[in-house]
Parts: sequence; structure tokens; C-alpha cells
Amino acid sequence: MSTTTLEKPAVSAPKKQKVMLCEGNEAAALAVALARPDMVAVYPITPQSSLVEHVASLIADGKMDADIVDAEGEHSVLSVLQGGALAGARTYTATCGPGLAFMFEPYFRTSGMRLPIVMSIVTRDGITPQCVWGGHQDAMTVREVGWVQIYCETVQEVLDTTVMAFRIAEDHDVMLPVNICLDGNYLSYGTARIELPDQSDVDAFMGTKDVNWHVALDPLKPMAVDPLTGGAGGKGPATFVRYRKSQCRGMQNALGVIEAVHAEWAERFGRSYAPLVEEYRLDDADFAIMTLGSMTGAAKDAVDEAREAGKKVGLIKIKTFSPFPVEALMRALSKVRALGVVDRSVGFRWNCGPMYQEVLGVLYRLARESGTVLPAMSFIGGLAGADITIPHFHRVIDATERLLDGPAPTEPVWLNEND
Amino acid sequence: MGRAYSTIAFDPAKCDGCGDCMTACAQAKTGTDDWARSRIQIVGRGNATQDAIRDAIEDATEKAFELALCRQCADPKCVTVCPAGALAKDGASGVIGWDASKCVDCLLCTVGCAYGGIALDEVSGHVSKCDTCDGKPACVPVCSKGALTYVTTANIYNEVGDWEDLFAPGLAGCQGCNTELLMRHTLRRVGPDTVLATPPGCVPGMGSVGFNGTTGTKVPVFHPLLTNTAAMLAGVKRQFKRMGRDVTALAIAGDGGASDVGFQSLSGAAERGEQMLFMVVDNEGYMNTGMQRSSCTPYGAWTSTTPIGAGCSAGQPAQGKTQDAKNLPLLMVNHRCAYVATASTAYMEDLYAKLDRAIEASKTGFAYVHVYSPCTTGWRFPSDQNMEVARKAVETNFVMLWEFTPSEGLRFSRSVDDPLPVTDYLKAMGRFRHLSPEQIEHIQGKVVENSKFIQRFSEQAHGG
Amino acid sequence: MEQTQYLIVGSSHAALEAISAIRMHDATGTLTVVTRDAHLPYSPTVLPYVVSGKSAPERVFLRDDDFFARNAVSYRPGAGLAALHADSNTAELADGTRLGYDKLLLATGTSPAIPPIPGIDTVSYHVLRTLDDALGLRDAIAQSRQAVVLGAGLVGMHAAENLVKAGASVTIVEMSDQLTAGYFDKVAAQMIEQAFTDNGAKILTGSRVVRLEPSPVGARLTLANGTTLEADLLLVATGVKPNLEYLNGSGVAFDHGILVDDTMRTSVANVWAAGDCAQAKHFFSPTPRVNAILPSATEQGRLAGMAMAGDAGIKPYPGGVPLNTYHFFGRHAISVGSSEAPEGSEVLTRFDEKTGRYLKAIFRDGRLAGIFGVNEFFDGGIMCQLIVRRMDLTADKERLVADPLKVGRELMSRTWR
Repeated sequence: MSTTTLEKPAVSAPKKQKVMLCEGNEAAALAVALARPDMVAVYPITPQSSLVEHVASLIADGKMDADIVDAEGEHSVLSVLQGGALAGARTYTATCGPGLAFMFEPYFRTSGMRLPIVMSIVTRDGITPQCVWGGHQDAMTVREVGWVQIYCETVQEVLDTTVMAFRIAEDHDVMLPVNICLDGNYLSYGTARIELPDQSDVDAFMGTKDVNWHVALDPLKPMAVDPLTGGAGGKGPATFVRYRKSQCRGMQNALGVIEAVHAEWAERFGRSYAPLVEEYRLDDADFAIMTLGSMTGAAKDAVDEAREAGKKVGLIKIKTFSPFPVEALMRALSKVRALGVVDRSVGFRWNCGPMYQEVLGVLYRLARESGTVLPAMSFIGGLAGADITIPHFHRVIDATERLLDGPAPTEPVWLNEND
Repeated sequence: MGRAYSTIAFDPAKCDGCGDCMTACAQAKTGTDDWARSRIQIVGRGNATQDAIRDAIEDATEKAFELALCRQCADPKCVTVCPAGALAKDGASGVIGWDASKCVDCLLCTVGCAYGGIALDEVSGHVSKCDTCDGKPACVPVCSKGALTYVTTANIYNEVGDWEDLFAPGLAGCQGCNTELLMRHTLRRVGPDTVLATPPGCVPGMGSVGFNGTTGTKVPVFHPLLTNTAAMLAGVKRQFKRMGRDVTALAIAGDGGASDVGFQSLSGAAERGEQMLFMVVDNEGYMNTGMQRSSCTPYGAWTSTTPIGAGCSAGQPAQGKTQDAKNLPLLMVNHRCAYVATASTAYMEDLYAKLDRAIEASKTGFAYVHVYSPCTTGWRFPSDQNMEVARKAVETNFVMLWEFTPSEGLRFSRSVDDPLPVTDYLKAMGRFRHLSPEQIEHIQGKVVENSKFIQRFSEQAHGG
Repeated sequence: MEQTQYLIVGSSHAALEAISAIRMHDATGTLTVVTRDAHLPYSPTVLPYVVSGKSAPERVFLRDDDFFARNAVSYRPGAGLAALHADSNTAELADGTRLGYDKLLLATGTSPAIPPIPGIDTVSYHVLRTLDDALGLRDAIAQSRQAVVLGAGLVGMHAAENLVKAGASVTIVEMSDQLTAGYFDKVAAQMIEQAFTDNGAKILTGSRVVRLEPSPVGARLTLANGTTLEADLLLVATGVKPNLEYLNGSGVAFDHGILVDDTMRTSVANVWAAGDCAQAKHFFSPTPRVNAILPSATEQGRLAGMAMAGDAGIKPYPGGVPLNTYHFFGRHAISVGSSEAPEGSEVLTRFDEKTGRYLKAIFRDGRLAGIFGVNEFFDGGIMCQLIVRRMDLTADKERLVADPLKVGRELMSRTWR
């Protein structure tokens, strides 16, 4: 799967991993402890609350050596972490929905300052109609401000990816904040069997901590952080452009780094995940459905059932949503002749799902290279905590199959509309 | 090489000619009560005899007294005309000393001085002059009217003059702005082992965080958001503490960024006892961006978002801000911060004393210093009047100078008794020019109310 | 040839003030001070007190070596100016050394004026202008039984008082008809004379010495009226004259003293003059005068230094104002301004026989021109300002005369606080 070659240290066999049963929020907290951050800042919000409660307990129990800041709100949560990161701290927090909206000002700034902060988004729908249940609307809404965003499918993947997130964020070629998105309700509270890596193995994976190598607030090395940059004349705008460009380059660099880190993880711990785009039963498929996050499990079951019924359907799961994995998607989409995209949020401007909207750009490139336009359609499901069940996915599969020799609808299909 | 000296200052407006200073001086220097032998001489403007001075006090409508006293000149004529080398300016104290063993009683010094600062004591037969009683002038403490003060602010200059100014030269503050002065003094005092946070406003606006990759500060400095200064700085401080490094976290923020949009993070950091020194430079509005109203803008003040409108001349009510100012330092008191103080650049010694306490408090908790900072541009007064406006604000109780710790409670560092009428402050600047008598009455009422309100804190602490 | 940017000739008040003024503006320019005196700087004004013993000679110096070191001044005592070659910016010293300068200040002061009395070069006599003179006179006074003082100016009167107090019989011979003429008026002079005669001195005003010859005692003086006086100590104190001999051929214009403009510049480029040797603007005269008093020397020296250093803060000399103080037998006299009372002047006087307090003030057009007191203390510096500022005192003059100390300070407070 991975196309990146790694310069790997010699990997010794992992110690026996502890098998346990836990919910996704706890798995995330355990992963954070394994990554040894210096500072976590917390403010509770449903459905994230048990995550930070677990973090607080781990610290209180002496199982995690981090400074915990119980800030008065998400805005300060992220601000505290920015200060900590500027002084060299490895930092972590988690939020969702209204909390993410409230912290938007420092959130936007974190990527600009190239601070490798890791933050879980325990995704939540809303904000209005008032809703405390799952949905990707919060994370999707902030997809364009420069954070790496990675979605998880299972509790185990939450644990593994949360650890990996620190390596990705702190990579010198990336230096960007990372969101690990885990679906509210389904992953946050969903309880599953996990294997917990040994701390010493994770320590070996993490290597020597070197967070604050590029920008520092240190009296021993005084500098101004983030002076005003720009202006109508002078060198300001050009300075700004170079800065932005390097930020975009860091985002693109993340694609390779994510792959490499996943490959190393697989080698060290024996669990491999498609780092960017997962292809499921795709190689001989005529058409495919596309998923994101925890819905993928039910979707795979539906694909299996459809295959048994003779439908040549495959599945494409996006794991890394930002940066958008264009090349990996090109390779996957070139294998099929029709596509149905299932979003767990809406894109208000295009009257479709946001992932669908993003994919359209890939389809355009594919069409230019292959000469054929791949028909595609948008499905929106799982809003406000609704379940996207196997029957729902059968509807998706059937509708997508009809694209092979029928017209493509311009309206999205709202899966839970009549549940 | 330059040195500043302490000096006896005289405010003729406060002198009622009681002569207590002359009695004290005569007693201290001659052991008598003979005013003629006092080295400080209160001079009546109208009639000059001692009896007439007393008469003038009794029916004075205008307090009209002046002073003949050695000014300890920097370029002393008395010294240059002394043929015997008996007079010399002391380089350390600045006092012009008289050496009896060298003096030949020729009186040429009295011919040299144009201020009546050195004169013949006919009883001793020698000249006599003020020697400031070795830095403890006897005349000053007996002046019950506050007309005489011993100004020792020079000590600050002498002490801090050699400390490194940690801001770059040439910051682009408005003409007459005292914020630059305040910043430079503050950072000098806090020292180089500091991380400075300064949110959008006048402080970075004049270039302290620099532009386009430059910096204006010699310590690490950053722009937080207008909203998150205290939170971001807390993160910095916590990490240095975790690393075992003793670094002072200093914020210099405007009143808008602290009392309005930044208040939540300020309050949160104070409640958590984050270890930092948070200084608010209160110029009572968003002055850097064009003088808009903040919640610290006082009632009646013109700002660009609380305009006067058509005004009285058009038959409309005079306006300006229609709400009273938020008292941010009192809110901080109610957070039980490790230290809270108000200060003014017109009272630099007081400011420095408070800075010292605040720095100390910031090692264990949240220290908050609120500095009242007149804005030459936004308040509309001549650029040479900043200190005077700052002083009048204090003298009228429009603002009050105090400090608070949870264990000692609130203590005034300058008496709030006998304030000047608030009009003395209001008339010093253009932003209040439109006020109607009713508005002035409202402001005067609020001054009294505020003073009483804060006095209650003080009384609770000190058993009133 | 050695070069210096600033060369100052002389080492008393004018020179010292010039050093300070130059260093205020130019901290590093090379500065050399040459003086014919062998000592550190001192004031001629202090010499009577050295004679009387009130001042210890080793403690009268106004500056020490450390001062010159701190101010980067090359101080060369015992080096008088012999000739000035202004066309080549060169000073020639008594020992033949030549010094090149960029800017030169002449602050060479005065020497005693010796009257051309027949036989004066046949007798030994004292003068008082240098520290060495003072030490010699001090020792001589201790030995003297009968002394004669020629000249009743302040120097002569001081010495006479010392002689009286030392127990000598003293005769003061003065050509004019009053003591301390030019300093104090007749009334004051009379008070001074009374004090001296009360203490046993003999005063011969309006008397001229026509002959001097050696005698067994020391010197014999013959007066115009034929009287002869024997003196074991003769002090010639008949005035001073500026030292100007070195100017011959220099092109520097002089009259009674070196002529200078409002910034002490002489008629020759790069040469300034200040102090007792300078003839400068005078407050009460349309033409320049030598105003050989200490306060004028300091002011002129400061102006010259500022001008030499190019200090833009310089303000032109307002003109010399006579200022004198005098102590005699425990009383004091102060004289500020002009004692002349031309027609139209208003003269207000006050005299209290019991206390011996005397005050006289002269007003012209309601403005103070001069004020003089005996045993009546007032702030001379304030009075001088009232004169220089030409303040209209029409409404205050009676009060001023009644209580010059208080009213002077009141006017000061009103006007220039």
C-alpha cells in the first residue's frame, strides 16, 4: 500500500500488548498517555467529556506525566497549548462541535504558527438545531484552515492513530497541527477489544522529543513570534506569500509522512492501516462506494453481501481527509466506472456532501487523463447521531450501480430522511 | 554619567502660608523658632511681612505664596562666584554644600544667586542654605497642606538608568504618549529573563513585536490574539516551569483586550493562579485602531463609536459614552489574585514599588497591575500634557492608586482624602469638552461613589 | 610645534568657567591651559583672607589635578604668555615654547598698577595680586609696627584692617576724597572710615604721595602737604591694570583692556578674551568698560567657552553690572549696580543710626539702577536681575527700600520663578 520508502531503525519484536476492552474515548486517552505530552488542556463537552476525564484520571493516578490545564473554555484551551508549544511542549487536547467553533480563532492560528499540536475531534453534529450527537459537520466545517485531519474507523485505530499523530505533526517536513477525528457516539462510546502497546515500544517509536526546533519563545534565544506581516508595499506581502507557500508545502509533505509513519507502526506493532485511502474489494469492481470514519464497517458488510448477490461493487475509505489524498484517490478511482460518496455532513453551498464535493476535483483530473467522465453521486447520512445501517448502504450500492448505465442525479440522497 | 537628584518640590496652589516649614527648618538648623533663620522662606506675593502673611491667610481668597529656597542648581552660580572654594555641588546627592572652614563670609554667593537660595544668617554672621537635611528635609513632613514634597523619583532614574532598555530604540508611539515610557520602564525592571506577550493594540502597534520579520524587543515577544493573552502566556510559563527554568511571563495589554474580548481568558488565568505579571495599560478605549469605545471608557467621553452627535448647539443632548466604565482592577481583586494594583505614570515611584511586588507575586500566582495611561491622541490634549493629565486623574480621585493582596487586603497607596473637583481633570482634555452640567454632575457623583466603594474594601482590610 | 584645539591663558575664574563650558559641548577636543602662576587655580579675591589667616593657603585652590585629569585638560602652571602670533594661530610662552591653537582664550587677569611716585623703586613695598604676594604680606604684617597703605580700595582696606588687628599703627593714604570710591557712596564710606578710625587707623584722604625714600625704619613717604610718614611696611594698593604686554604686534585691539564683542570675541580671528583683562559691554555705559569683578569674570569666561566650542545655546552678554561685597570690622556692605545718579534719577535712602543700617537705592524711570547697603542684607543676585531685566518698579520702590530682602524675593517669585 505504502509507496514511501522508509529509513527505519532496526525494529525489535514488540513486547506483548495488553488486551483490554474500552471505549474510543478511553482508547484516545491511553494513546495520549503513551505519547508522553508535556501539557494537556481540557474543557469538557459532549461527546468528548469522557476522553478528558480519562486523561485527567491518568494524570491524577500518576500514569501520565503532563501538566493539565483546566481552562475556562476551548478558546483558552488551545491558546494555552499554543503558548506551551511555543515554549517547547508536546501538547494535546480534544473538543468538538460548539467547542471547536468557539476555539476557531486560535484554531486557525495554530497551523499558521506551524505548531504541532494534536487535538482529537470527537465529531458532533449541530450546532443548530441543537444537537449533542455524532456527525462530521464540525470537523468538515474547519477543513480549510490548515490542520491535518485523519478519520478513524475503529477503536483500535483511534488508539494507534492518536499515537502516530504526534509523529506526523512533529515531523520536520510537516510541522502542522493534527486532528484525529473519531465519530461521536459510535467511536467515542463504542466499546471494543483493543491491544495496548507497551510504553517502551511506543517510546522507541516516538524517538527523542524535539518539538520546538523551529520557533521559540526563549529568553536565551530572543525572537519575535508572529510580527505583523504584509502591507501594501515593501517586502511584507512577498514574505507572507513565501510563508503561506511553505505552509502548503508542509501539508503536501504530510501525505508521504503519514504513509511512512503508518508503515513503521505496522512493522513495530503488527497493525497496518491504509494511511490515506483504503481500497476494499476494488480491483475487480465495476463501481465503488466511498466512506469516511466509523460508517465503513457497516459499508464493508453491505459490500460483502452485494458481492455475494453478484454486484461488482468495491469500497474506497478515506482515512486522511486533509491533506486531500488526490493521487491515491486517482489510483483507486481509475479502477471503477461509477462512484457513490457517503458523507456524514453537508456542504451547504453545493447541496451535496463535502467529501463528494472534494472528490469532484479528483474526478475532473481523472477525466482529463483517461478521457472518460466517471459518473458519481452524493449520499448524506448519519446526521445527528443517526445510524447508517447495512440496509442504508444497500440503497447506496444499488443507486450507484444504476449510474453505470443511467443518468446521474443532481440532488443528493438523504439516507436517514424517512427513518 | 548623568545623575538625577531628589528635590524639594513646592506647589504654590496648596500653600496657605502657615509657616510650619520655616519653624521646622529654624528648629532643625538653629534650634530656634526664628523664621528669619529658616533656610526655606515662604514669600507672600502681596505683602511680605510675617504679620501680613498671617493676615493674608485669614482672608485669603487666593492662596498666593511663593518660595525662596536653594534649588541646588545644576549650574550653580553661587559655586562659580565663590572665591574660596567653600561651595561645591555634591555629585552623589546633588546638594550644594557649604564648607564653613573655607568660607570667608564675603557674601559673593548671595550676589550670584538669582533665587534668594543662599542668604546671610545675621545671627551667625555666615551664609546659610538648604542642605535638604541629608535627604530627610525637616520642612516637608510638617507641611500639612501637601504643598511641600520631597520628590525622590530621581532614584529610579539613577537605579534603572544603567539597566538595559529591552525595547529597540525608535518605537513609533504617538507624540507625547506615555505608554512607551511605561513599557520601557517595566521591561527594564522585569529584566531579560522574560517572555513578553502583547496583544493587538498600541504596544505592538508602535513596533514592539516588529513588522515583516523584524522585532522591536530584545526579549522573546509575541502577539497573542486580542482574546487570549493570559491563556497563551500561561502555556509559555507552565512549560518553562516544567523545564525548571525561571522565566517571568509578562503581558502588556490594552484595556480593550483585557476588559472586553480578552476578559474571559484573563479571568480564567487569574482563577487558575497562573504565574504571570499581567499589566493593563488603560487608555480607556481602542486607541490604536482609531479611538473606539471599550468597556473601560468612562461615562460621557467622546470616542469614535460614542460620538457627540449634533450636540447641544443643535438642541440635542450632549452625548459621548452613555454608560460608566467597568472597574477592571476591582474585578481582579474579586479573583483574589496574588497581587492587584493600580498605578499611574505620574507616580513612578509608586509604580516601581508596585512592579517589585507584582514581580514577586508572579512567581507564585497571578499578579495584575492596572496602569492609567492618558492618550494624547484619543483624549485630545496637547502632547506635553500627558503627565499632568495623569496626575489630575489621580488628584481628583477619577482614578485611585491602591494595591491588594489576599492576606493584606486593599490599601490605598495615595490618600483619596480631599480630592480636587473632577472638573479639574475633565477640562484638561477635549474628549469631555461637550459635557453638559448634568453629565459632569453624574461623573462627579460616580467619582464619589467609586471612592466610597473602594474605601469600603480598604476599611474591611484595615478595620476602618 | 605642539598643537591644541583650545588654548586658555590664565587659570582663575574666567578660565575655569571657560573649561567647563567647552567641556559641556566638546568632551574630547584637546584643551591646554597655560598660566604664569605656579600654583593650582585660586581666586585673587580670596587673597586678603589668606593675608588675614582666615583662609589656609593650602585650601584656597578652586580645582585640583584630578579635575584637569577628568576633563582631559593639560594644565601647565608657571608658563606665562610672552607673545601672540595671531596670524599663525601660535602662542609663544615665556620659555620660548610655541603652541599652536585653533581657538585661544586670553584670561590673563591683571597686575597691580604701580603709581609713578618718585623714588618708588628705591624702597621695598608689598603688592597683593598673587598667592605668593599674600604669603609675603601675611608674614610682614606679623612683624609690622607702623604700616602705610597706599590706596583705599577694597584690597587696601582689607589689608589695613588686618594690620590694625595685628596691632600695627596704620595709615591709609588715598588720593581721592573718600574711601572705597567707586564701590560705595559717601555715606557708606563715612561709616567705613568711622569703623577704621574707631579701631585706631589713621586715614588720609585727598592725600598724594610725592616722594618715597629709604629710611632706617624702611621707607619714608612725603605727602603733597609736606607731611612725612615712616613705614616699616608699605603696601601699594592703588589699583590694577590688565596684563597686555604680550599683545604687541598681535593685532588684537585693546583700550584699557582687550576689546571684545558680546560673545567675548576679540578683533582677531580665533581669539577670545574674558575676565579682568577684557573690556566688554557694560550695562550702564554705551562704550565697553573693564568691569574687573569676579561675577563678570565667570560670566564672560562661560560665554567665551561656549563661543569657542560652537555651543548654539549661547546668549549674548547683557553687559557688566558692578557687584561688590565688603566686610569690615564685623559689618558688611553690599553694592549692586551703578552708583551714579544722573539728573532725573530718584535716590531713596534709609539710615538707622542705632543699628547702623544704611540703604540707598537709585531708580531711573522707575527702574532700579543701583542698590547699596551697609549692615542691611538683601539678595544681591535678585537685585541684579531686577536691574538687568529693567523691571518697572514704580509701584514697589518704596516697599523695596523698606524691606529689600522680602520684597526682592516677592518680585522674584512673581517674575522669574
